[in-house]
Amino acid sequence: MIGLLLIWSVVPVSMIVLSSFKPTPDIFTYPPTLLFEPTLEHYRTLWEKWPDFFLTLRNSAIIAVCAMALTVFSSALAGYVYSRYRSSALAGSAVFLVAIRLLPPIVITLPLYPVVDFLKLSDSYTLLILLYATFFVSLGTMILKTFIDGIPEELDQAAIIDGASELQILWRIIVPLSAQGAVAASIFVFVYAWNEYLFAFIFTTTRAKTAPVVISEMMASLNGVDWGLLFAAATTQLLPVVTFVVLVQKYLIAGLTAGSVKG
Amino acid sequence: MRKFGLTQFVMLAPALGLLIFIILLPSLYVFWLSFTESTYGKAPVFVGLENYVAIWNDRYFWRALINTLIVVNVIVYGELILAFVIASVLVKGVPFRRLILAVVLMPYAISEVVAVVIWKFLLDPDIGALAKAMASAGLPDINWATNPTHGLGLVSLISIWLNLPFTLIIIYAAMLAVPSDLYESATIDGASPWQGFRYVTLPSILPAVFVALIFRYIISFRLFSEVWLLTAGGPARTTEVMAIYLYKQSFTYASFGKGSATGWVMVMVSGLIAAAYLHLLYRRGFRQNA
Repeated sequence: MIGLLLIWSVVPVSMIVLSSFKPTPDIFTYPPTLLFEPTLEHYRTLWEKWPDFFLTLRNSAIIAVCAMALTVFSSALAGYVYSRYRSSALAGSAVFLVAIRLLPPIVITLPLYPVVDFLKLSDSYTLLILLYATFFVSLGTMILKTFIDGIPEELDQAAIIDGASELQILWRIIVPLSAQGAVAASIFVFVYAWNEYLFAFIFTTTRAKTAPVVISEMMASLNGVDWGLLFAAATTQLLPVVTFVVLVQKYLIAGLTAGSVKG
Repeated sequence: MRKFGLTQFVMLAPALGLLIFIILLPSLYVFWLSFTESTYGKAPVFVGLENYVAIWNDRYFWRALINTLIVVNVIVYGELILAFVIASVLVKGVPFRRLILAVVLMPYAISEVVAVVIWKFLLDPDIGALAKAMASAGLPDINWATNPTHGLGLVSLISIWLNLPFTLIIIYAAMLAVPSDLYESATIDGASPWQGFRYVTLPSILPAVFVALIFRYIISFRLFSEVWLLTAGGPARTTEVMAIYLYKQSFTYASFGKGSATGWVMVMVSGLIAAAYLHLLYRRGFRQNA
């Protein structure tokens, strides 16, 4: 059973990673061989033929990190207010926060197109950062609210008596004690922004193009896909994010259960 | 009690501002566009319900809607069944639990694009290892480019592979929370493993199951990348799903009105799914309390 699970989730990925180091003929041997002379030839071809790929990888990294920062910043502030305050307007906006998640992202591509053009945001980092942050700010807020709910409110009360301002309470008490929630929220946004295809495909052409879009172009450059090259690109794209997720899996699980089950 | 005031409003502004300006207002504008006809460089003209009538009479729309409903159900229930099976094994305790969890989570980090690369390679009739293994077992090739059933089947497989971690973690976390003495008393009373699942586990984890179902229904309903990258809706528009149909109406055929109408149909169907499940959840909650 556990063996099947390993085959299901690890084998497909490791085949790609291993094949990216195989000399071309060895990629196609059947049954797949584990004995081969490792080579970097596909990575060299990638560097020589698709130098843009590494630029798009940098774009992906910048966009993902900024989207992460923006989401965590907005979600922490909102999560704090939802956790500590009660009012009917607030309850109404919480319903809005949940209900807006029903909206499929593709629906807004059409009206955004002319606006984006008008604001000269087409093919820009800013646009993708805003889009990615927006689609995760609801989940981020719920995750952070759940974590902030876990911080005893007596701590805030004591600080208020000591004359602390709202910002001081946030910075001195809430931020340090809800850091795990912030990490959990960051993982979701980072993974999403690093891997996202739809918006990047529709809204970027050259300057802000992301790595998944280039990989899809490599795959589509038919008349014989260069599989070795494709695997080298895929491996470069997936290794950072897979490593990240495996390292922080504890927070990922905490975030999933906080954001969906309780939210 | 602390009072909600201007400071708190300002603190909410970034989160709500993003949602209002990037999702709410554009989607309301789409609502208006869906009653107009327009294309590149042409101002919208009010046409009433014409776009809705046009897509209602478009057989490609129905094909896309039916494809979507089939694929979504296959994905959601496929994931749920796999998640039940895997979680019941994990919850009994396994060696190297953390390592196994990390492994199970791995596809969550893979992009749709790379997942399509992986499965295309594995199932390529000429070079794919999995395709060759299937052939030697006497199974037919998967011809996703020519056979719509194979195409949508492969789309479902890739989507299940990518999203199983989400469903699994929710179900697993819920199962962990079931008090173990419930199982013990069920076993003492002579319950079989199936009865244990049916009468002890399932009722306790039902709320989590509903949450996973609603989330996965709503997210799978948006399915775009896997289909776009694998078949692009072909051959002859037989594997289109709603998001592909919307994309083609809007950007390929530049009919913004019909694209917008499709968008609102998607929003309404998503809303109906959510409402139906919430209703079910609510009724069940009442019956259990009664």
